[in-house]
Amino acid sequence: MMPPHDASLWGSLRPWLVLLGQRRDRLFLGALLMGLTLLSAIGLLALSGWFITATGLAGLLLAAGMAASLDVYVPGGGIRFFAVTRTVSRYVERLYNHDTVLRLLADLRSRLFAVLSGLDAHALSRRRASDWLNRLTADIDTLDSLYLRLLAPALVALLVILGLAVFLALWAPRVGVATGALLLLGWLWLTLGQARLGMTASRRQVGDLEQLRGRLIEQLQGLAELEAYGSLADHRVRLAAIEARLYRDQRRLGQRVALGNALASLVVGLAMLLALWLAAEAWSAGILSGPLTVMMPLAVLAISEALAPLPVAFTWLGATWGAAERLNALEAQQEEVATPLASVQLPAGALSVTLENVTLTHADALVPALAEISFDVAPGQRLALCGVSGAGKSSVAGLLTRQLKPEAGEVRLAGVALGAWPASALTTRVALLTQQTDLFDDTLAANLRLADPEASDARLWRALGMMELADWARALPQGLDTRVGEGGRRLSGGQARRLALARLLLREPDLVLLDEPFAGLDAETATRIATRLDEWLAGRTVIYLVHQLGDTVDPPGIDRCLTLRSGRLCTNGQDVSG
Amino acid sequence: MRGITEPMSSPGAATADLTARRYLTDLAAGERRRLRLAVLAGTVAGLLTIAQLVLLASFISGLLVEGESLPALTPLFSGLLVVLPLRALALYLQETLAQSASLRIRQRARRGLLDHLARLGPVKLTSRHSASLASQLVEQVEALDGYFARFQPQLWLAGLVPLPVVMVVLWLDWLAAIFLLISAPLIPMFMALVGMGAQRLNREQFAAVARLSGHFIDRVRGITTLQLFGRTTQATHEVHDAADDYRQRSMRTLRLAFLSSAVLEFFASVAIAVVAIYVGFGLLGYIDYGPADELTLFSGLLVLLLAPEFFQPLRSLSQHYHDRAAALGAAEGLVALLNEPPDPRRRSGGAVPASARDLLVELEGASVEHPGRGRVLECVDLTLVAGDVVAVTGPSGVGKSTLLQLLAGFVAPASGRMRLAEGLSLAWMDQRPLLIQGSLADNLRLAAPDVGETEMREALARAGLGELLAALPDGLETRLGERGVGLSGGQAQRLALARVFLSRAQLVLLDEPTASLDAETEGDIVEALQALADEGRTLVIATHHPALMAMAKRRLSLEGTAASREESHDATS
Repeated sequence: MMPPHDASLWGSLRPWLVLLGQRRDRLFLGALLMGLTLLSAIGLLALSGWFITATGLAGLLLAAGMAASLDVYVPGGGIRFFAVTRTVSRYVERLYNHDTVLRLLADLRSRLFAVLSGLDAHALSRRRASDWLNRLTADIDTLDSLYLRLLAPALVALLVILGLAVFLALWAPRVGVATGALLLLGWLWLTLGQARLGMTASRRQVGDLEQLRGRLIEQLQGLAELEAYGSLADHRVRLAAIEARLYRDQRRLGQRVALGNALASLVVGLAMLLALWLAAEAWSAGILSGPLTVMMPLAVLAISEALAPLPVAFTWLGATWGAAERLNALEAQQEEVATPLASVQLPAGALSVTLENVTLTHADALVPALAEISFDVAPGQRLALCGVSGAGKSSVAGLLTRQLKPEAGEVRLAGVALGAWPASALTTRVALLTQQTDLFDDTLAANLRLADPEASDARLWRALGMMELADWARALPQGLDTRVGEGGRRLSGGQARRLALARLLLREPDLVLLDEPFAGLDAETATRIATRLDEWLAGRTVIYLVHQLGDTVDPPGIDRCLTLRSGRLCTNGQDVSG
Repeated sequence: MRGITEPMSSPGAATADLTARRYLTDLAAGERRRLRLAVLAGTVAGLLTIAQLVLLASFISGLLVEGESLPALTPLFSGLLVVLPLRALALYLQETLAQSASLRIRQRARRGLLDHLARLGPVKLTSRHSASLASQLVEQVEALDGYFARFQPQLWLAGLVPLPVVMVVLWLDWLAAIFLLISAPLIPMFMALVGMGAQRLNREQFAAVARLSGHFIDRVRGITTLQLFGRTTQATHEVHDAADDYRQRSMRTLRLAFLSSAVLEFFASVAIAVVAIYVGFGLLGYIDYGPADELTLFSGLLVLLLAPEFFQPLRSLSQHYHDRAAALGAAEGLVALLNEPPDPRRRSGGAVPASARDLLVELEGASVEHPGRGRVLECVDLTLVAGDVVAVTGPSGVGKSTLLQLLAGFVAPASGRMRLAEGLSLAWMDQRPLLIQGSLADNLRLAAPDVGETEMREALARAGLGELLAALPDGLETRLGERGVGLSGGQAQRLALARVFLSRAQLVLLDEPTASLDAETEGDIVEALQALADEGRTLVIATHHPALMAMAKRRLSLEGTAASREESHDATS
């Protein structure tokens, strides 16, 4: 009955079931409320049927002039009781369970972001940004169905079926066993059978939605080029193909859900007929009273409410599985955080840098990004590391900030192996201006305060002033509260670059790595900024990562220059005077 | 007169007063036939339910009251056996027909939105977060599903199916029928009240979802920077707060959404209880007014069984009520997008006067304004002829990129004139080149869909990527990721340049094409650009680099906010 890949289904869902287990009290109470609602619905219809038949038969006897007594108050009270509990427990149950699930979601989302923050540059570069977006929203939203839509309703339905079968068997064993067996078969189909029918198509859904989103983001971000080249239509074709596949699967899934729903109504109907026929036989044989004979099919009829949510939930089980798999894969990439040695003596002041026979190969790369690189930088010295794009400069920056780990060789700062540095010390004492300007869709102030959350407005203005952004910022209607747009898109390239530099100035690092600090700036601005940067850099060790010196405006105060070509140093220790 | 460019009559302009409801109605109109068939199937299923219950009550009454033997009741039982599968079939048809309608509607809605975004153009879109926008186009369009697949047909069924039910009850016992009829109008009233609140909250929730995804992708994009600044813990807290905010919003929506179904549950439950007690007392002869003394077990039981069926379509409707609220919330977001008017003068190439056949572009005192940022480009005069190479220079932020956007037709001039040659083809390269997920070849074909492998290799070589290509075992089929994962910044830029080489565009607009290249490569690029110019192509290059300025035949220097139209001819040193 179970699909052959069930082991991995179980394996994928297990960590999440364990996680659910942490809130088992809430889950248990939620399921209890669910069961209570169902029992009230069954009780209401069954007792009403029993009551009407009893009164009808008593009425006939009375009409015939025979003595008949019937307590109408207890069943009447029972009917009212079930009517109220059904309504109240249903409302409370739904509210309570949704709150539980959303609480879980908030925890999961932040936990996942923490996982992402723990990934190193290798793992990060392999993923597309929209994958992550989807991981945090869609995948976790899909996982919410694990409890609320899959586990709880299936379990409650099973228990209610068993309970009903036992209850009916108390009066008429044949009725209880036969209808119970039929309903159980139905339950098996509606859960396992439907899951199997929808597995492949529903497992693909989230992935296809993710692709659709990825393509859309491409189209929105690259609209300028697409429009200019007139290739928007071609890109739309790519989008349409993904959408077509997505909807083909949805159509298939919809048909299977409809089949499950139709089968659910058929199974309940047939079970009701079975109960009716067998109860009628028992009545004919004088084993069962009239009211009980009517109560039995009506009780079975009321169970349709228990089966109704199963087909759609289980047909889409594959979506939950797929989501769980992707989340598991992501968590598996997180490297265990190396625990630095308890007490490392880190000297104060400018740091010395040592690379010793360092080799580094990026994932999926053909050649090493760095091959047996060795060099030293003395405290306070300024090194220019030159090389064309792709020569390995950014890899050196990644190594020195521990974003990347060398395959071979050793990196030392202030004579201490980088692996032994506590993370907090590393972030405070080493600063990197990345080649790609990363600004967040937030205000100017918030982007600056990333470097120092405590910084006063005055300090922010000073930093902006040093980068010649103060006049511009002051002229903005919202000043420091102006939002910079996605990735700083509302700023020009040069403004974004200077803002990133201003952000760096809010820190007091002992080693500064500047990757193309003046990219996108005109010569005059760059020259003026270089002078101010020079003062700020005094007393710190500096490594500039630049394409070439003497091209436009050189970064200030270079003591030495090394050139990287295809991951190898080709000039060593060439002194540059001035 | 603002120039000879005429406003293009755009279909989007007519939608200025589009509302969410109107939008949904328009969408539904396209699939009216399928939706009607779904309602028909649902009505048939409702009638078969009534038949089933009539047969059931007859069977029980025959057995218990008339004392008939089981074999004598076999025809009734067989009737039930026939009705059940037919009912299941009708339900299946209802569901699949409505779903098929929903799929087509969503496909059409997304296509319409994409058309509109294309009309809005790249500059208008920069003020929007592309992840939020993408989420609108994915999630909000998908959120329309429940409305068409479930709510819309059920709305009809909620009006249609209770009618035959109440008619049968009326025939059996008019007092019970009156009770049902009294409680019925209260339900839509309650639901409307509850629904109104739920809809507003739903809209807020959609805004929260869009913010959540925007917030997240932004933080993830910059995760390296967050790591470098040691701010990941704080960012994680922010993500938790955003998610918790989402929970609170959701709970507010749900509290109301569930209330509407609770109201119905209450009515349905009370109806069963009241009918059961009324029928029971009537059968016992305790009620001596109205039709109660005519009740039999058959009619009493049937009234009891029909009472929940009277409410069932309404209950289903209320279960789908949040689908409606979700769809309306989504539709509002989408309509807001659709109502954003595209600039009608955008991309409207006017004919150049015949006297100047080789004129590509003429700008006379053209300026550009952005809402919220004021004037970003001041009065520019520029005339471009075939084969021109113009370097646009000036301090950063002066509007060099805006000038290129103006030339590309992404923005229209706020004042002044702009004339474009008819059928002018463009190539574009900016500071953030588009790299699509796909192969290197896919990325090149963006510029020219029909080019062959040889041309692609040649273009890559001219852009300085020849060595890289040679080192790739999969060659042109090498896969690239978002933002060109696997390529360095300079390589990505060179790939974008390769696209320029591939395109047959007359006018090539280059925004800082050599921003991250070394002098050696820059030299190669300048040489290649020179080759482009020699082909007779027109180049406009925004740059700071002397080498590029040197190759330009002319130089347009933009200076601050003061009107600058200084154009030094023959700027070559």
